[in-house]
Amino acid sequence: MALEIQGVTAGYTKEVPILQGIDLTASDGLVTVIIGPNGAGKSTLLKVIYGYLRASEGEIRHDGVSLRDQQPKDMLRHGIAYLIQGHSVFPKMSVEENLELGAWILRNDRKAVASAFEEVYERYPRLKEKRRMLAGVLSGGEQRMLEIARLTMTGPKTLLLDEPSVGLMPKLVDTVYQEIARLKEQRYTILIVDQNVRKAMQIADYIYVLKLGRNSHEGPREDIQPRIEAIIREWI
Amino acid sequence: MGISVLLEPIILAEIMLQGLVRGSMYALMACGLSLIFGLMGVKNFSHGEFFMLGAYVMFFVAVFMDAPFILGIGAAAAVLFVFGVLVERTLIANLRRRAGRDWLLDAFVLTIGLMIVLQNLALLTFGSTRRGVPQLVSGMTEIGPIFVTNERLMILGASALIVTMLGLFIRYTRMGKAIRATGQDPEAAQTLGIDVNRVYTYTFGLGAALAGIAGALLIGIFPAYPTVGFHPVIKSIAAVILGGLGNVPGAIAAGLLLGVIEAYTTFFLASGWQHVITAGLIVLVLIFRPYGLFSSAKGDRP
Repeated sequence: MALEIQGVTAGYTKEVPILQGIDLTASDGLVTVIIGPNGAGKSTLLKVIYGYLRASEGEIRHDGVSLRDQQPKDMLRHGIAYLIQGHSVFPKMSVEENLELGAWILRNDRKAVASAFEEVYERYPRLKEKRRMLAGVLSGGEQRMLEIARLTMTGPKTLLLDEPSVGLMPKLVDTVYQEIARLKEQRYTILIVDQNVRKAMQIADYIYVLKLGRNSHEGPREDIQPRIEAIIREWI
Repeated sequence: MGISVLLEPIILAEIMLQGLVRGSMYALMACGLSLIFGLMGVKNFSHGEFFMLGAYVMFFVAVFMDAPFILGIGAAAAVLFVFGVLVERTLIANLRRRAGRDWLLDAFVLTIGLMIVLQNLALLTFGSTRRGVPQLVSGMTEIGPIFVTNERLMILGASALIVTMLGLFIRYTRMGKAIRATGQDPEAAQTLGIDVNRVYTYTFGLGAALAGIAGALLIGIFPAYPTVGFHPVIKSIAAVILGGLGNVPGAIAAGLLLGVIEAYTTFFLASGWQHVITAGLIVLVLIFRPYGLFSSAKGDRP
């Protein structure tokens, strides 16, 4: 089941569609990676899935439920969490407050919030140590960890990750991808868009290549990986 | 009368107190303005008319209904909150949803229009008569060598209480946290399930309520009439700029500072000069500390 996208066309204005009939499936418990040259519409696709941008045509379903008329604020309730591109911690709030906001949709269910905290602090002892610090003073890597931890506070099923390693130094890129691998072990359904093709490829189960808003290639990693050099050469 | 008489500590202290009373009004007004600006980027020019409406509500409750003034403050807060929510929902939210990069400019023009409409509606409805309440609280209190009217003490106390409550609200409540999160990163807030449109509406209502409370509290000094909000809004905009755009504690400090500076200027120079000094101060701050007296260069949000 998982996340299914069929024939999605969307854009910022009616005249210029960025996505032109995209088909894509992110299967349960697997890592699906979208790659493609700049302007292929990779990040736009995530925005359309999350309801920031409306699809003019096509259908988006999560576990069989249509997401077409949903707004971003409703997505977590549908079990989809979204790591937006760039920094997204609230820099002037403490680590703890950031995590608390991650549990926003649990409202006043104190038990659920407490167990979410317990789980996250167990997985990220560093965040527990620094829970009273302002998120803005954490290192870039720690901020990214906080963002990822915050995504999982409500136990979503599917994670959309937009450029999770952008702007980080190589050592931290490894850490972030190790973390994504851990999430994969926990059977999250993961859809990643990343410029770092090599890194994303290592963790992928299934790969989609987009080009100018259309599907260009797709297949399991074993099929795409040997051809990747040739595919990238097509972009230039 | 020699200058030495003017420099008597008792007189200076009395003037300071006068300044703080006036400043507490600017502070209340400015924290509402700053909250709205910091969160939504909207420069609300109809804020002075919210002050005016608050004064009329107080007049209605205290004189017409002859009810205790505390009720008047509560009523002003409630009426202006609802009014602010309606303004945001029906007018501003529509501009925001239509989006486009210029919606802030549209909203700015809209609030100027709203200012004119509200002033004239008040003129049609209530006429141009000044409707005041001689005193909300009677009596004097002796603090050391100086005498203070209880009315002034009440204004100072009430302002301090309201500002403290606002601070606690923003820091500790669920809605307060949502307001801060939305101010810092609305897109991220939305991904976590926060309904940012609701946060905007609520905040606008809260800012309007603060202006309404200021109008109600100060009716003894500023009686209600259609354009009574003009000076307070100009001064509170000044306080918001001096404090650093969107920095609420900075706006409060700057509001108090402006009140005190004005009181001393009026005393030592003449009434009228206080506007020159305020404007001069803004020019200096914009040249030397464009991010405000109480903000860091990186800028502040709630």
